[in-house]
Amino acid sequence: MAKAKKQNPVLVPESKKLDPANMTEPVNILVVGVGGQGVIMVSKVLAQICQNLGYQVKQSEVHGMAKRGGVVFSHVRFGQQVWSPTIPVGKADVLIALEWAEGLRWMNYLRPDSGVFIADTKRIVPPFACRSRALGAEIGYSKDTPDDVKAKVCEAFAIDATEMAAKAGNERAANTLLLGALSTTLTFPTSEWKEVIARMVPPKTVDVNLSVFDQGQKWIDGSRRGEPVEGGAFVPLVQPEVNPERTMLEITAEWCKGCDICVKMCPERCLVLNKDQVAELAEPEKCTGCHICEWLCPDFAISLNPVSQEAAE
Amino acid sequence: MNKQVALKADDAKKTADGKEFNIRDYLRLDLFPHFMCPGCGHGIALRALLWAIHEQGIDKDKLAVVCGIGCSGRVGGYIDANTFHTTHGRPLAYATGLKMARPDLHVVVITGDGDCLAIGGNHLIHAARRNLDITCLMLNNEIYGMTGGQGSPTTPRDRFTTTTPAGNREPVFDACKLAEAAGAGYVGREVTIHLPRLRDLIAGGLAHKGFSFIEVMSDCTEVNGRKNDLGSSPEMVLGQTRTMRPPDYEYDSNVVDHPFRPSGLHTGVFVQSDRPEYGAAYRDMSEKLQQGRTKP
Repeated sequence: MAKAKKQNPVLVPESKKLDPANMTEPVNILVVGVGGQGVIMVSKVLAQICQNLGYQVKQSEVHGMAKRGGVVFSHVRFGQQVWSPTIPVGKADVLIALEWAEGLRWMNYLRPDSGVFIADTKRIVPPFACRSRALGAEIGYSKDTPDDVKAKVCEAFAIDATEMAAKAGNERAANTLLLGALSTTLTFPTSEWKEVIARMVPPKTVDVNLSVFDQGQKWIDGSRRGEPVEGGAFVPLVQPEVNPERTMLEITAEWCKGCDICVKMCPERCLVLNKDQVAELAEPEKCTGCHICEWLCPDFAISLNPVSQEAAE
Repeated sequence: MNKQVALKADDAKKTADGKEFNIRDYLRLDLFPHFMCPGCGHGIALRALLWAIHEQGIDKDKLAVVCGIGCSGRVGGYIDANTFHTTHGRPLAYATGLKMARPDLHVVVITGDGDCLAIGGNHLIHAARRNLDITCLMLNNEIYGMTGGQGSPTTPRDRFTTTTPAGNREPVFDACKLAEAAGAGYVGREVTIHLPRLRDLIAGGLAHKGFSFIEVMSDCTEVNGRKNDLGSSPEMVLGQTRTMRPPDYEYDSNVVDHPFRPSGLHTGVFVQSDRPEYGAAYRDMSEKLQQGRTKP
């Protein structure tokens, strides 16, 4: 369960909350996530509240080609006077991550001394993390746990917001739950938050959104007081099951006519034509056993045989 | 490569329930390597056929493969089953007689584009009309390969062959439409690069009760490809999904059908009808005649 670290007493009193009215520099909030999660909605709500309260706000976002599945981030800066719309590295006061790895990606934007890291433990594995086709290859997704993150930033919270929102009735309200978590770091009145959220979300989902907003606030408060709170469990990412059956490529050289199909079709490029114009497995360790060479060999010269464990050794 | 390891693995595979498909169980290994040119698509089509036969659980003793003349006619000889090498264009006629006499056999006809559409064109339309339970695999390589590269009924426009030295101007047959119009119960087309799809298509044809006509778009790399600069063997195989087939079949573009390009050369199952099968009707009639009734 994610709790505030003992050696780092961060029970933030009301006076330590970010209040743009008493600050000379603007407050920097960075919202990151994956396309489709509601990153832009979070930043729009925040910007609207700041505007309602009379602060100057600058919000900038990158979403473009990230629609449904790519990186989305949004910088929100507000205060007495804001000049630049983007947050410099190491100057964000709060980082809201709707997806775990995205949070880790942007962690260097947080203020090292006072930054607050709030992340959903939801993990969306991008196709890029599955590039290795080798048998039993690990997913290239970050293995950092909330404890690793807590060691690196001033204050970190890992909420299973998606799961909590799903229990409340709509998992797409996870972003509102994180807004609730965010609201604990600012001095804005709760009524103002709720009013804006109710106006911005689809009419049918107002009740769910307001209830998860409360949950998010409660979760952070409880976590700060060191109470055991639900929804902080960090379940390790499940690796896809690997077929333990190894295969071995066998080429009947006498049957091969050197048509080159297997060499050019192999996705791993592990076959070559030798000096006799006969296909040869040049890099056996790269072979993933995908069967393409076997299937497209017009001469039946290639066969993939399963190798039993003892034979392999 | 450790040969001993390979042998061990092979033995283990054969004893393991016999479920895994091993093409060598279905081949006459003493005839190998086969006679076909390097990169010929007929070998891939043969693998698809044997895999489909394996998947359908057809006993080799209950399988009869009838072939005509040409490159495709030689393919059947490599199958370890009952195989017939018949006269040019007549495999469907032989197969019709075989199926009538032995309805318990699975009769598969392997024929080529010239064998099936030119010399045996008449047999094709009548086999389709009768709708007898035969699976006809037409390996379409768009040329008479074995005799030196003459133009066939499916040679596309502007292709150079020995009979069309300035480029072909004869219109082509769309064999699938022909079979469909003649009444075949199951008609489909597939390219050899999509081997699992081809296997499933042939398996559907084997399971279908009625005349199944399957056009396999195969490559002739040595005669057709070389003369027309269609590229090396792998380029031709890859080209099957892109630019290999000229737009002669009245489709909008010369690419193979694709979810994102639905206007290409159509592949897949075109017809699957439950038109009555002739063999059953024939046996019904013969039973009635034996019972002394002359009128059905």
